Amino acid sequence: MIFEILAVGLIISAVLALFLDEVIYSVAALAGTFFFTAFLYVENGALYAAIFQIAVGVGTLAILFLSGEMLGDKPKMQTSPIRVGALVGAGAVLSLPAIFLSVSGSTGTTSGLDFGDALWNVRGLDVVLQALVILTVALGIAIVLYEKKKKGGQ
Amino acid sequence: MDFVILSLIMLSIGIYGLLTNRQLLKVFISVELIATAATLNFVMLASSMGVGLGQAFLILAFSTDTAVSGVILALLVIVSKKYGTSDMAKIIQILQSKGESEDEAQ
Repeated sequence: MIFEILAVGLIISAVLALFLDEVIYSVAALAGTFFFTAFLYVENGALYAAIFQIAVGVGTLAILFLSGEMLGDKPKMQTSPIRVGALVGAGAVLSLPAIFLSVSGSTGTTSGLDFGDALWNVRGLDVVLQALVILTVALGIAIVLYEKKKKGGQ
Repeated sequence: MDFVILSLIMLSIGIYGLLTNRQLLKVFISVELIATAATLNFVMLASSMGVGLGQAFLILAFSTDTAVSGVILALLVIVSKKYGTSDMAKIIQILQSKGESEDEAQ
Protein backbone atom coordinates (compact mmCIF):
# COMPACT_ATOMS: atom_id res chain seq x y z
CA MET A 1 0.00 0.00 0.00
CA ILE A 2 2.85 2.39 0.88
CA PHE A 3 4.53 1.70 -2.48
CA GLU A 4 1.32 2.62 -4.34
CA ILE A 5 0.89 5.91 -2.43
CA LEU A 6 4.54 6.83 -3.01
CA ALA A 7 4.31 5.88 -6.71
CA VAL A 8 1.22 8.09 -7.22
CA GLY A 9 2.92 10.98 -5.37
CA LEU A 10 6.10 10.54 -7.40
CA ILE A 11 4.36 10.61 -10.78
CA ILE A 12 2.07 13.52 -9.83
CA SER A 13 5.04 15.61 -8.63
CA ALA A 14 7.00 14.73 -11.80
CA VAL A 15 4.08 15.85 -14.01
CA LEU A 16 3.70 19.07 -11.98
CA ALA A 17 7.46 19.73 -12.22
CA LEU A 18 7.33 19.61 -16.00
CA PHE A 19 4.03 21.28 -16.82
CA LEU A 20 3.55 24.08 -14.26
CA ASP A 21 4.11 27.47 -15.89
CA GLU A 22 6.17 29.17 -13.19
CA VAL A 23 9.69 27.80 -12.81
CA ILE A 24 9.76 28.26 -9.02
CA TYR A 25 6.65 26.07 -8.60
CA SER A 26 8.22 23.53 -10.96
CA VAL A 27 11.32 23.40 -8.77
CA ALA A 28 9.10 22.95 -5.67
CA ALA A 29 7.39 20.02 -7.42
CA LEU A 30 10.82 18.59 -8.33
CA ALA A 31 11.65 18.72 -4.59
CA GLY A 32 8.58 16.52 -4.08
CA THR A 33 9.88 14.10 -6.71
CA PHE A 34 13.24 13.83 -4.92
CA PHE A 35 11.63 13.28 -1.53
CA PHE A 36 9.16 10.66 -2.84
CA THR A 37 12.10 8.85 -4.48
CA ALA A 38 14.00 8.93 -1.17
CA PHE A 39 10.94 7.52 0.68
CA LEU A 40 10.68 4.75 -1.95
CA TYR A 41 14.32 3.85 -1.27
CA VAL A 42 13.67 3.76 2.50
CA GLU A 43 10.57 1.62 1.97
CA ASN A 44 12.67 -0.82 -0.06
CA GLY A 45 15.43 -0.97 2.57
CA ALA A 46 18.01 1.16 0.72
CA LEU A 47 18.64 3.68 3.51
CA TYR A 48 22.03 4.89 2.27
CA ALA A 49 20.63 5.52 -1.20
CA ALA A 50 17.86 7.62 0.37
CA ILE A 51 20.41 9.70 2.30
CA PHE A 52 22.46 10.30 -0.88
CA GLN A 53 19.29 11.16 -2.81
CA ILE A 54 18.27 13.79 -0.25
CA ALA A 55 21.82 15.21 0.02
CA VAL A 56 22.25 15.54 -3.75
CA GLY A 57 18.64 16.66 -4.21
CA VAL A 58 18.97 19.52 -1.71
CA GLY A 59 22.06 20.85 -3.53
CA THR A 60 20.41 20.61 -6.95
CA LEU A 61 17.24 22.29 -5.67
CA ALA A 62 19.16 25.17 -4.08
CA ILE A 63 20.93 25.89 -7.38
CA LEU A 64 17.70 25.48 -9.33
CA PHE A 65 15.81 27.89 -7.05
CA LEU A 66 18.53 30.51 -7.54
CA SER A 67 18.81 30.06 -11.30
CA GLY A 68 15.02 29.82 -11.63
CA GLU A 69 14.65 33.17 -9.88
CA MET A 70 17.47 34.72 -11.96
CA LEU A 71 16.82 33.29 -15.41
CA GLY A 72 13.22 32.12 -15.49
CA ASP A 73 10.90 34.17 -17.73
CA LYS A 74 7.81 35.29 -15.84
CA PRO A 75 4.60 33.79 -17.34
CA LYS A 76 1.98 36.23 -18.62
CA MET A 77 -0.87 34.62 -16.66
CA GLN A 78 -0.96 32.89 -13.27
CA THR A 79 -1.58 29.15 -13.27
CA SER A 80 -5.27 28.49 -12.61
CA PRO A 81 -6.32 25.96 -9.96
CA ILE A 82 -8.24 24.08 -12.68
CA ARG A 83 -5.01 23.54 -14.63
CA VAL A 84 -3.23 22.34 -11.46
CA GLY A 85 -6.12 19.97 -10.77
CA ALA A 86 -5.99 18.66 -14.34
CA LEU A 87 -2.24 18.07 -14.02
CA VAL A 88 -2.72 16.21 -10.71
CA GLY A 89 -5.44 14.09 -12.35
CA ALA A 90 -3.21 13.36 -15.34
CA GLY A 91 -0.41 12.34 -12.97
CA ALA A 92 -2.76 10.04 -11.04
CA VAL A 93 -3.93 8.39 -14.29
CA LEU A 94 -0.35 8.00 -15.51
CA SER A 95 0.62 6.26 -12.26
CA LEU A 96 -2.10 3.59 -12.65
CA PRO A 97 0.11 1.20 -14.70
CA ALA A 98 2.72 1.24 -11.91
CA ILE A 99 0.02 0.16 -9.45
CA PHE A 100 -1.78 -2.49 -11.50
CA LEU A 101 0.99 -3.86 -13.75
CA SER A 102 4.07 -5.75 -12.71
CA VAL A 103 7.08 -7.19 -14.48
CA SER A 104 7.84 -10.74 -13.42
CA GLY A 105 11.43 -11.67 -12.76
CA SER A 106 13.51 -13.48 -10.21
CA THR A 107 14.75 -11.38 -7.32
CA GLY A 108 15.86 -14.29 -5.21
CA THR A 109 19.59 -13.92 -5.79
CA THR A 110 21.37 -12.46 -2.79
CA SER A 111 25.02 -11.68 -2.32
CA GLY A 112 26.74 -11.56 1.03
CA LEU A 113 28.23 -8.14 0.21
CA ASP A 114 26.65 -5.43 2.38
CA PHE A 115 26.91 -1.68 1.69
CA GLY A 116 30.00 -1.00 3.79
CA ASP A 117 31.95 -3.93 2.30
CA ALA A 118 30.87 -3.00 -1.21
CA LEU A 119 31.88 0.63 -0.72
CA TRP A 120 35.32 0.09 0.81
CA ASN A 121 36.40 -3.16 -0.84
CA VAL A 122 35.15 -2.54 -4.36
CA ARG A 123 34.91 1.23 -4.64
CA GLY A 124 37.36 2.49 -2.01
CA LEU A 125 40.03 3.70 -4.44
CA ASP A 126 37.76 5.59 -6.82
CA VAL A 127 35.82 7.24 -3.97
CA VAL A 128 39.11 8.57 -2.56
CA LEU A 129 40.23 9.68 -6.07
CA GLN A 130 36.85 11.36 -6.60
CA ALA A 131 37.29 13.29 -3.36
CA LEU A 132 40.82 14.27 -4.50
CA VAL A 133 39.48 15.60 -7.83
CA ILE A 134 36.77 17.64 -6.06
CA LEU A 135 39.36 19.05 -3.63
CA THR A 136 41.65 20.00 -6.55
CA VAL A 137 38.79 21.74 -8.37
CA ALA A 138 37.82 23.65 -5.22
CA LEU A 139 41.45 24.73 -4.66
CA GLY A 140 41.77 25.75 -8.33
CA ILE A 141 38.65 27.91 -8.13
CA ALA A 142 39.88 29.50 -4.89
CA ILE A 143 43.27 30.31 -6.51
CA VAL A 144 41.64 31.79 -9.64
CA LEU A 145 39.30 33.94 -7.54
CA TYR A 146 42.18 35.08 -5.31
CA GLU A 147 44.27 36.08 -8.37
CA LYS A 148 41.30 37.93 -9.83
CA LYS A 149 40.77 39.80 -6.55
CA LYS A 150 44.49 40.65 -6.39
CA LYS A 151 44.44 42.05 -9.95
CA GLY A 152 41.24 43.99 -9.21
CA GLY A 153 42.86 45.58 -6.14
CA GLN A 154 45.94 46.84 -8.04
CA MET B 1 9.03 -5.73 -9.63
CA ASP B 2 6.53 -2.85 -9.85
CA PHE B 3 9.35 -0.33 -9.78
CA VAL B 4 10.32 -1.19 -13.38
CA ILE B 5 6.97 0.13 -14.62
CA LEU B 6 7.27 3.13 -12.29
CA SER B 7 10.72 4.07 -13.58
CA LEU B 8 9.53 3.51 -17.18
CA ILE B 9 6.70 6.00 -16.61
CA MET B 10 9.14 8.49 -15.06
CA LEU B 11 11.48 8.03 -18.03
CA SER B 12 8.62 8.58 -20.50
CA ILE B 13 7.53 11.78 -18.70
CA GLY B 14 11.13 13.03 -18.73
CA ILE B 15 11.63 12.30 -22.45
CA TYR B 16 8.26 13.90 -23.30
CA GLY B 17 9.27 17.01 -21.34
CA LEU B 18 12.67 17.07 -23.04
CA LEU B 19 11.04 17.00 -26.47
CA THR B 20 8.18 19.45 -25.86
CA ASN B 21 9.41 22.12 -23.40
CA ARG B 22 10.86 25.33 -24.80
CA GLN B 23 12.20 26.79 -21.54
CA LEU B 24 15.80 25.78 -20.88
CA LEU B 25 15.21 25.35 -17.13
CA LYS B 26 12.34 22.94 -17.86
CA VAL B 27 14.68 21.00 -20.16
CA PHE B 28 17.10 20.78 -17.23
CA ILE B 29 14.28 19.51 -14.98
CA SER B 30 13.47 16.88 -17.65
CA VAL B 31 17.10 15.71 -17.61
CA GLU B 32 16.90 15.46 -13.79
CA LEU B 33 13.72 13.35 -14.07
CA ILE B 34 15.38 10.99 -16.56
CA ALA B 35 18.40 10.62 -14.25
CA THR B 36 16.07 9.98 -11.26
CA ALA B 37 14.20 7.30 -13.24
CA ALA B 38 17.46 5.54 -14.09
CA THR B 39 18.80 5.60 -10.52
CA LEU B 40 15.39 4.54 -9.14
CA ASN B 41 15.39 1.43 -11.31
CA PHE B 42 19.01 0.65 -10.45
CA VAL B 43 18.70 1.04 -6.68
CA MET B 44 15.31 -0.68 -6.34
CA LEU B 45 16.54 -3.69 -8.34
CA ALA B 46 19.75 -3.91 -6.32
CA SER B 47 18.02 -3.57 -2.96
CA SER B 48 15.27 -6.04 -3.86
CA MET B 49 18.01 -8.55 -4.75
CA GLY B 50 19.88 -7.75 -1.54
CA VAL B 51 23.00 -6.53 -3.36
CA GLY B 52 24.80 -3.80 -1.39
CA LEU B 53 26.97 -3.01 -4.40
CA GLY B 54 24.00 -1.32 -6.08
CA GLN B 55 23.87 1.36 -3.40
CA ALA B 56 27.65 1.76 -3.52
CA PHE B 57 27.58 2.33 -7.27
CA LEU B 58 24.81 4.86 -6.79
CA ILE B 59 27.45 7.32 -5.56
CA LEU B 60 29.05 7.12 -9.02
CA ALA B 61 25.67 7.73 -10.68
CA PHE B 62 25.00 10.73 -8.42
CA SER B 63 28.43 12.28 -9.00
CA THR B 64 28.00 11.88 -12.78
CA ASP B 65 24.51 13.36 -12.53
CA THR B 66 25.79 16.32 -10.52
CA ALA B 67 28.62 16.94 -13.01
CA VAL B 68 26.11 16.85 -15.89
CA SER B 69 23.84 19.27 -13.97
CA GLY B 70 26.78 21.64 -13.45
CA VAL B 71 27.68 21.67 -17.15
CA ILE B 72 24.03 22.16 -18.21
CA LEU B 73 23.55 25.02 -15.73
CA ALA B 74 26.78 26.71 -16.88
CA LEU B 75 25.63 26.50 -20.52
CA LEU B 76 22.18 27.76 -19.51
CA VAL B 77 23.62 30.82 -17.75
CA ILE B 78 25.91 31.60 -20.74
CA VAL B 79 23.04 31.28 -23.24
CA SER B 80 20.66 33.35 -21.07
CA LYS B 81 23.26 36.12 -20.63
CA LYS B 82 24.12 36.17 -24.35
CA TYR B 83 20.56 36.22 -25.71
CA GLY B 84 18.67 37.73 -22.76
CA THR B 85 16.12 34.91 -22.58
CA SER B 86 15.93 31.25 -21.64
CA ASP B 87 13.17 30.47 -24.16
CA MET B 88 14.47 28.24 -26.97
CA ALA B 89 11.96 29.55 -29.53
CA LYS B 90 13.08 33.15 -28.92
CA ILE B 91 16.77 32.16 -29.12
CA ILE B 92 16.14 30.44 -32.48
CA GLN B 93 14.32 33.57 -33.72
CA ILE B 94 17.26 35.77 -32.67
CA LEU B 95 19.75 33.43 -34.37
CA GLN B 96 17.65 33.32 -37.57
CA SER B 97 17.29 37.13 -37.75
CA LYS B 98 21.03 37.45 -37.08
CA GLY B 99 21.77 35.02 -39.96
CA GLU B 100 19.45 36.91 -42.32
CA SER B 101 21.07 40.28 -41.52
CA GLU B 102 24.54 38.76 -42.12
CA ASP B 103 23.34 37.39 -45.50
CA GLU B 104 22.02 40.82 -46.48
CA ALA B 105 25.32 42.44 -45.51
CA GLN B 106 27.21 40.03 -47.78
